[in-house]
Amino acid sequence: MNTSGLLAIVFALGVVALSAVTALPEEDMESVSVALGLRAEGLILARCSVCHTADLITQQRLPRERWEATVDKMKHWGAEISQEEQILLVRYLSARYHPGAPDRLPPLEHEAGPAEPLRQEPALTGPLVGVAGRGSGIFEHNCQACHGQGGIGGVGPKLSKNPILKQEEHFWDTVLHGRGPMPAWGSILSEQDIADIHAWLLTR
Amino acid sequence: MNELGKRVLVSRRGCLKLLAAGLGAGMMVHHAASAVVAAQKDGPQSGTGGLTVRVARPFDAETPVGEFASFLTPIDRFFVRSHFGPPAMETIEESRWRLSVGGAVERPQVFSMTSLRQLEPVTITAVLQCSGNGRAYHQPRVPGVQWDRGAVGNAQWTGVRLRDVLQATGVRAEGRHVQFQGADRPAVATVPLFVRSIPLEKALHPDTIVAYEMNGRALPLLHGAPLRVITPGWMAESCIKWLTDIVVREDEAKGYYMQTAYRVPGHLASSSTRLNADAMVPVEVMPVKSLIVSPESGQHATIGPVMIQGVAWAGETRVAKVELSMDEGKSWKTAQLLGEPQPYAWRQWRFIWPAKVPGIFTIVCRATDEQVAAQPPVSPWNPGGFLWNGWDRITVDVNAS
Repeated sequence: MNTSGLLAIVFALGVVALSAVTALPEEDMESVSVALGLRAEGLILARCSVCHTADLITQQRLPRERWEATVDKMKHWGAEISQEEQILLVRYLSARYHPGAPDRLPPLEHEAGPAEPLRQEPALTGPLVGVAGRGSGIFEHNCQACHGQGGIGGVGPKLSKNPILKQEEHFWDTVLHGRGPMPAWGSILSEQDIADIHAWLLTR
Repeated sequence: MNELGKRVLVSRRGCLKLLAAGLGAGMMVHHAASAVVAAQKDGPQSGTGGLTVRVARPFDAETPVGEFASFLTPIDRFFVRSHFGPPAMETIEESRWRLSVGGAVERPQVFSMTSLRQLEPVTITAVLQCSGNGRAYHQPRVPGVQWDRGAVGNAQWTGVRLRDVLQATGVRAEGRHVQFQGADRPAVATVPLFVRSIPLEKALHPDTIVAYEMNGRALPLLHGAPLRVITPGWMAESCIKWLTDIVVREDEAKGYYMQTAYRVPGHLASSSTRLNADAMVPVEVMPVKSLIVSPESGQHATIGPVMIQGVAWAGETRVAKVELSMDEGKSWKTAQLLGEPQPYAWRQWRFIWPAKVPGIFTIVCRATDEQVAAQPPVSPWNPGGFLWNGWDRITVDVNAS
């Protein structure tokens, strides 16, 4: 290879490197898939709206580090956000609600179908059996803020000894699709999670 | 409402639609919303329908600036800022309400509303303004409720002097700060409580009151019924609603809402300044500020005299003058101040502008207080987005006929 060829390659590499650097600070919505956006929205409903409606979030236009600090602050204040959920939330919020985003944002494409669950479960083989021992922790993380410690009730109804536990279809429908003020949990909890919570609540 | 406000409103609707699926009106069962519903049931005129809602729960809503044409802002059009939302309606009954006063006092005491009402009543007209009013104008953008221009109002507050309450208990020599706490509680117990304190001098000022009436009516739930603090001339985060506890202390109150939030750099800072905690001081006095109330931004006018009206206020001091500029501050004309000069309340003003040619004009106004502080073109940036008092600005479309 002659010198000019080498220079051309070096130049091309430089351009690639430069564009990679300039593209780094802001991840935009195109790279945050619709399914991920829907999952993040589900999380906002599940985790944040315990204390405030989502309008407080969607009116912000902040750079990634401010979103990181904000989600950190909310975790510190008791928002039940796991490490995995935090990463997803910060990615989504800083891609959609960044300082350069217009005040009026187009809605996400909801036609894409339901959000994928946060965790992919292996395909079910045989009947779903809830494990009460696991349900306790899942309840604490997801349900306790509204339904109280041990399901004794809070902003949301008391669940321990609630007749809905015996009406399994009704229980599942409520958890998966939400009811009244309760958001839908279908995109946050796996079927196994819901079965575990159900099993644990029956012991309360 | 100006252009920014309109944009914020429109985008808010879009976003609400976006998230409506899971979070419909159903989520509104929480107490803030039930208070809004209750306020709306009060009477046909007392709904909150005239407010621009920034956050549905806990309820944050501001007044459309056109409402400031009246000297007193009507209760049902008065902005609402909630940290957690009001306590349950049934808990605010006057006969059951107790105010406990303790800490560095000679005789700790629990007051009923009846015993408080035996003290001499006083009425003060004062502007109440959220520290974050105008946050949406700070650049770079700052997190928090994106208030436009209407998180402010002027009302008549009736109550008793905090000084008289503290005289009844006596203040021990070491007492330097007076801490307030209300009955509102966060949805999740791990969220810090809204606890604030003010220096003893402000607490003992004869115009600082604990109020039980607003504009001549019993204080409504969303505004702190049955009892709230009013610190005239100071920003509203000192004006604790649903007041249940006063503690006299040697030092400032502890906790997030005193030690971290509602603080600004003691010296001029920019968004790139590194700010340590000791560089920050509590937000206290309201800086001088004015608003153009009418015409509203974007309105049409015709060639000839155009009446421009507005309000101006200056914290603990008085407004000295209000000026308008049609050329972005190159030249200024003085507006006519109406009514009497007084501290705390706002002053209405008007200016008759002889519009001579058609076109789109930007009208800017600024106020100056008696201590010669004038509104700056743009307020100094601060990390909380507080104390915005930059020149107010509207555009008017002047037509030939």
